[in-house]
Amino acid sequence: MKHRIFVAAVLICLWGDYVAAIAQTSTKRSPNKSNSNPVGTAAGLPSEGELRFQANCGRCHNPPESLSPRTARAVVRQMRVRAMLSAEDEKLILEFLAP
Amino acid sequence: MKARLSWILAMALLGLGRASAQSDVPILSGGAGFLGTTQGGSSLFQPVVAPVLTVPLGEKWLIESRADLRGVIFREDGTTGPYQGQFFGTLEYLQVDYNANSHLTITAGRFLSPFGIFNERLSAIWISKFQDAPEIAAIGTGVGYSDGFMLRGALISNRRYAVNYTAYFSALSTITKFESERAAGGRIGVFVPGTRLEVGASYQRKLQAQRMNSVGSDISWAPYRVPLEIKGEWAHSPSGNGYWIQGAYRLSQLGNENSAIARLEPVFRMQQFFRSELIPGDSLPLTNSRVPELGLNYYLPHEVRLNASYGRDLVAHSTNLNVWEFGITYRFLFPLWPGESK
Repeated sequence: MKHRIFVAAVLICLWGDYVAAIAQTSTKRSPNKSNSNPVGTAAGLPSEGELRFQANCGRCHNPPESLSPRTARAVVRQMRVRAMLSAEDEKLILEFLAP
Repeated sequence: MKARLSWILAMALLGLGRASAQSDVPILSGGAGFLGTTQGGSSLFQPVVAPVLTVPLGEKWLIESRADLRGVIFREDGTTGPYQGQFFGTLEYLQVDYNANSHLTITAGRFLSPFGIFNERLSAIWISKFQDAPEIAAIGTGVGYSDGFMLRGALISNRRYAVNYTAYFSALSTITKFESERAAGGRIGVFVPGTRLEVGASYQRKLQAQRMNSVGSDISWAPYRVPLEIKGEWAHSPSGNGYWIQGAYRLSQLGNENSAIARLEPVFRMQQFFRSELIPGDSLPLTNSRVPELGLNYYLPHEVRLNASYGRDLVAHSTNLNVWEFGITYRFLFPLWPGESK
């Protein structure tokens, strides 16, 4: 029984790595990646929206792997209430997620 | 009567659709999982779905709700006998939020009691690093939910620091699935974005037959330089006092962010509770207890997380117990109806 569980765990990890490799080729927006900088500065520095996103969102949960601009608006509206963001935080984070 | 109700429901949905079409699309998010626990030889399995509905209405209003739909499967005699199951459905919050201005949101309905950081921020199954809530989670939150109104927001928010607050009043409710206690309280927190450090203090006064005060403090720190998260709470009530502190370190510095090792996250939690007075129904350990726990989370792609943990429940005047837990959780998010991106 233990042997089976071990084999299952190894297979799940291998599957995870395989899917991760496939995901690397995906072009979806990912707020999880530091290089996703849709409204960044010309010098490639993170935008104010990205900084606010990292400061406020990443301290409680992992950022979602992908967010469409359409759903981002409702997510940020909800997080404004939950995370007690100011209106300025909400605006800047939304500009970052859904430029 | 049924026709009238159907008509009202249809009109409400139509209005909702129109209002959303004018502003933002409603979303359905949340988590699903399968959790297993073995404590002192008794095993428990829990399939869980926790949907979160978010409906923005115009620029100022928001309706949000979260439910917890959970089956509990266990052996009839604890460690032997056939398995049997029960189903539990809990409406955790169903609230209307009105963004009055940049510093104030007014909330009415059923909401998570704002005391400390666990109940409001970390209790969701796809966020919590351990499956089970800390032992002191019931201090200041009671059943966990409040029916009433709440004021919350950021008093001050700038690049250097932010001061956030929550103040609420909850009415007594004995309605099935909407139970809550008569209480008032709140929390104030100071957050420093430059270091991602937040400290907070909470207070609750129970306004039932027994009037009791609960106080608490919390800390949350997630430095930018290392993928480390430290969170903790201390709370005190007439029943007793205790703390929990947990650390989680994502091994993302040890390899490519998509490598197997970078997806691992060892976690550690230590908690203690010191009983002062036995108060029936306070949902706290009956005696002093100490629980060190070690766990490992593995983040698969597509928002799937595996976790496993081991804890040793060191209970005073009783047999110590081993607690093994494992689980798989999936976090989802999609718009409620299809359409083109704005």
